[in-house]
Amino acid sequence: MAWLVVRLAISVSLLYTASAVFEDQVGKFDWRQQFIGKVRFALFDTHSQASKKLLVATDKNVFASLNSRTGDLFWRHVDKTGPEGHIDALLMYGQDAVVVVGNGRLLRSWETTVGGLKWETVLDTGSFQAAALVGVQDLVKYVAVLKKSAISLHDLSSGSQIWVENLPDSDSVQYQTIYSGGNGLLFVLGVVPNSHIVIVEYKIEDGEIMNKKSVEAAWMSSLESSCAVISSGILLCVDQITQSLYTLSLQSAEQTEMRQIHLQTLDLEVASGFRPVLTSTQPNPAQPPLSEFFLQLSPDHHILLQFKDGLIAPLRDFSPSYLAAFATSGERTVAAVMSPKNDTACSINLFSADTGRRHLDTTVIYHMDPNGGKPNRLYVHAFLKKDDSVGYRVMVQTEDLTLTFLQQPGRVVWMREEALADVVTMEMVDLPFTGTQAELEGEFGKKAAIQDGLLPMVLKRLSSQFILLQAWLAHLWKLFYDARQPRSSVKNEVTIDILSRDEFNLQKMMLMVTASGKLFGIDSKSGTILWKQYLENIQPNSVFKLIVQRTTAHFPHPPQCTLLIKHKDTGLGSLYVFNPIFGKKSQISVPALPRPVLQTLLLPVIDQDYAKVLLLIDDQYKVTAFPSTKNVLQQLQDTASSIFFYLVDSSQGKLSGFRLRKDLSTELIWEVVIPTEVQKIVAVKGKRANEHVHSQGRVMGDRSVLYKYLNPNLLAVITESTDTHQERSFVGIFLIDGVTGRIVHEAVQRKARGPVHFVHSENWVVYVYWNSKFRRNEFSVLELFEGAELYNSTVFSSLDRPHAPQVLQQSYIFPAPINTLEATLTEKGITSRHLLVGLPSGNILSLPKMFLDPRRPELVSEQSREENLIPYAPEMPIREEWFINYNQTVSSVRGIYTAPSGLESTCLVVAYGLDIYQTRVFPSKQFDVLKDDYDYILISSVLFGLFFATMISKRLAEVKLLNRAWR
Amino acid sequence: MQQMKRLLDIYVALQALFALSWCFSDGEPGPVAGSQSNGDRFKIEGRASVPGVKTQDWISTALILVEGEEYVGFLKTDGSFAVNDVPSGSYVVEIVSPSFRFDPIRVDITSKGKMRARLVNYIKTSEVIRQPYPLQIRSSGPHTYFMKRETWGWTDFLMNPMVMMMVLPLLIIVLLPKLVNTNDPEMRKEMEQSMNMLNPNPELPDVSEFMTKLFSKGSSKSGGGNKGSRSVALKRR
Repeated sequence: MAWLVVRLAISVSLLYTASAVFEDQVGKFDWRQQFIGKVRFALFDTHSQASKKLLVATDKNVFASLNSRTGDLFWRHVDKTGPEGHIDALLMYGQDAVVVVGNGRLLRSWETTVGGLKWETVLDTGSFQAAALVGVQDLVKYVAVLKKSAISLHDLSSGSQIWVENLPDSDSVQYQTIYSGGNGLLFVLGVVPNSHIVIVEYKIEDGEIMNKKSVEAAWMSSLESSCAVISSGILLCVDQITQSLYTLSLQSAEQTEMRQIHLQTLDLEVASGFRPVLTSTQPNPAQPPLSEFFLQLSPDHHILLQFKDGLIAPLRDFSPSYLAAFATSGERTVAAVMSPKNDTACSINLFSADTGRRHLDTTVIYHMDPNGGKPNRLYVHAFLKKDDSVGYRVMVQTEDLTLTFLQQPGRVVWMREEALADVVTMEMVDLPFTGTQAELEGEFGKKAAIQDGLLPMVLKRLSSQFILLQAWLAHLWKLFYDARQPRSSVKNEVTIDILSRDEFNLQKMMLMVTASGKLFGIDSKSGTILWKQYLENIQPNSVFKLIVQRTTAHFPHPPQCTLLIKHKDTGLGSLYVFNPIFGKKSQISVPALPRPVLQTLLLPVIDQDYAKVLLLIDDQYKVTAFPSTKNVLQQLQDTASSIFFYLVDSSQGKLSGFRLRKDLSTELIWEVVIPTEVQKIVAVKGKRANEHVHSQGRVMGDRSVLYKYLNPNLLAVITESTDTHQERSFVGIFLIDGVTGRIVHEAVQRKARGPVHFVHSENWVVYVYWNSKFRRNEFSVLELFEGAELYNSTVFSSLDRPHAPQVLQQSYIFPAPINTLEATLTEKGITSRHLLVGLPSGNILSLPKMFLDPRRPELVSEQSREENLIPYAPEMPIREEWFINYNQTVSSVRGIYTAPSGLESTCLVVAYGLDIYQTRVFPSKQFDVLKDDYDYILISSVLFGLFFATMISKRLAEVKLLNRAWR
Repeated sequence: MQQMKRLLDIYVALQALFALSWCFSDGEPGPVAGSQSNGDRFKIEGRASVPGVKTQDWISTALILVEGEEYVGFLKTDGSFAVNDVPSGSYVVEIVSPSFRFDPIRVDITSKGKMRARLVNYIKTSEVIRQPYPLQIRSSGPHTYFMKRETWGWTDFLMNPMVMMMVLPLLIIVLLPKLVNTNDPEMRKEMEQSMNMLNPNPELPDVSEFMTKLFSKGSSKSGGGNKGSRSVALKRR
């Protein structure tokens, strides 16, 4: 019964706090973009001529079907992140796609039209080596999977295992590839590095070993990278040291050593330091591969060769050429080769594979993005035209993960920026004012007011008003002009030049930094990519930190952002300074960073050009300032004694605080050691610098005030126990003052483990952990209060705090797992806060902070009702109305970014993971603007009705008065 | 916090019960995953359905999450599913679909591979309400992501207490004089008496009377009273 009452109370309170999406708001201010990641395998559906399917498997463990006409997703399946969901191989036959997942853990077959699973089988343990479709008498019936020590054959239609055999001498021989030419035999090829090759021949029906032989190959280290099977079972290998090709017939018993063919005899030479690559093609798994193959001799030199009667003959030399690929349509196989045309463009041409002759009128021009990377993969979709000639389309993948789909003669059909599937960090920057807006702003500049007298100022005012009027008229004219045009012809293209700040600053520039080192500038309103910049030579696992040094508020100085790129292991970093609106690299000289950077600090100190000063602390605790003009150094000297920073060394469990000295060296002030034998530091978070707190305290039921403990220097440190046993593991939280090193509070959650997600804001910390005893997620909230009186209400100083804050804590059960956690942020902090919870289902839950209030009473009293406190309930509710992204789910959401807008009620939200979703949330509803559903008709009809009623009644009254006078 | 402590106590008591029920379930000939097991790994099987919707229309966007993203499974074209490679333990199995709602189910796997499904209860974690295994999960309908807009209707307007308070007296004022014959002198007398009773102090000037006097005076005085009244009307808006 009590439960019912509590539920009822909650539901009643929800009526007032819920912020939800209305159906008519769909797509009004939100958008989602779906991505797949870096393509590892791509196969065009050649089953039927009209098929638009393009199957892709990516490094994000995504298996998807794309519409090759538009680039949109038909369907997409995202497997578990990490190596367990890694897609090892993708094979396709007819309507079925066979996928090997998780280092040979699972074998799956997908029905590609619907996007549903056909079957799934668990494979025996062992690391995956290779997989191939196996055909018998022109029919593909089986799929063979080679593991480190075993080979298994599965039925293609049901997935059932036909046989599994252990490989002979698997501890010494590295089996790496399989080959089947459709003649009832299956070859497994292995190598003993620098010794010999082992070839085992299996009978397809029952897995019986028919033959086994070993061939000397002292020069060979790996089969996979240097060999290919061509023609009817000829193993072809290339070696760069001996500069020769080797051939070996797999089937013949008499050939006991590999035949060497010197590349010199073919007038060829491998570029020094380059590992030559062989590319062969087997259009139909039930038939032997073609006897033509590509040999890549240097990064820009391919050659098409043919094997005939034991001899190798060059068909065509492609120099220079970047990429080459085979494609088959029906019975005809073609080769597409990409060669450089000029500095900005490449041309792709089609050649017939068997002769090397160029097909006429097949050139596709590919324009390279000057801000992008080089092309590195080429996927060709060949098809037969009506006149029986071969047509083709190509998909080009570049280093910066752009997928471009091209059609003859070079028309870009679609483009996907797959780098956005891995956003590392992001910021939102205000858009600049337009010229007229800037003019108006400039009028109030200090300098102008001092120089000019009264009259010029009046004139200036008038002239700027006139400019505004002009702009407005032009805008009206444009509206009128656009309205006259038919809908379709009005282009809604967003370009950087027409973008300007809107009235409520709701439209911003999203800066996104991706793991591949590509930067994007995206319009937050429409999701259009306005600029992109690929930073070359970025190490694969770099750490990025994006800092906004100068906002757009300082016209005419351009806004300035700095990206710190740090190598994960060495810590060596570099700075990249750019203009966030246009994406242009700034000409400002950047300090060299010879030593690893440990910490960065953005100071509120600004230089004469209004750029905030960035301090970089290296591993010798030396400080580099950027910008480091005289002015800045002077200011730093003056304020050095009040600049503190902290360093975290999680490997030694050490937190240390430093103070800046006048000569830009540092001194150690405090040190907190958290013993690493017991627990390790997982995360440290301060508060966001742009956060505003409106109210200093909370008004209690008895009209007294409970003041918040608003320490801007407070750090929340989360630790996890090193002992991971279910009974002994724990999660700890320390609240440490970053200036003095004083531990303000510490709490331990027993029988709990990570991953811990937490938010630190205002006077509270919310964290989520896994309760390993009850097997559920729990939220815990810590709130700090000064008490009924403020110690020093004018200024907060960490050095002068005699009283420890009161700490309140409460925990709740959260009935779902959590991927990420963030809090909403508004301009002045008046609006109530919500927590945005990213769930594994892809939904983003907007949970009112009201529910995470440690003052929620167990028993309802008059005072708690006065305070609007919800009675305590252990389980946190999840309502579908709170999902701010309705059915626009964000796959594997990794981060949520919140930014304030010009409207106090509105907070901009960007959720990123595999997808990107942008929306606005109104935690306290839209209290400062008219609602979307504001009934203009009703209000105006009431107004007019009243107006006419007064008119009529007045008239009636007049008549009545007249009548009375006559009486 | 207190509540949670209490729960802890309850838990200890229930733990015994739980152990008991565990023994019972051991005795039952549950579906043994012997043939499906792969070392110490097991398979969670089941079938999902959405009433009234063809499987191919929703399975491509759905997936099965076991304990968050710990283990992931996909739906087959007939709506059945199997999550392979799951070690023994207790898991919450959930079907995630952007369009349809499915209730999560907790699946317990013993170290021998015996399976049992029960309702998820995060508060009483050891409570067992058995569910069929292999899982049979039916969707409870499409998600209700959207709030209903408050639409304006005449009934809402009329039933508003403020409006009721305004309209009812108006009706009384307009209708009552018509029902009662005011020309009847007896009646008039009676009414006057009752009015006097209501008005305890007849000496006090009646406010309404005073106001009417004031206004009528004003309008009769100025010829341009029309304008004045009009401006008042405008201001009221």
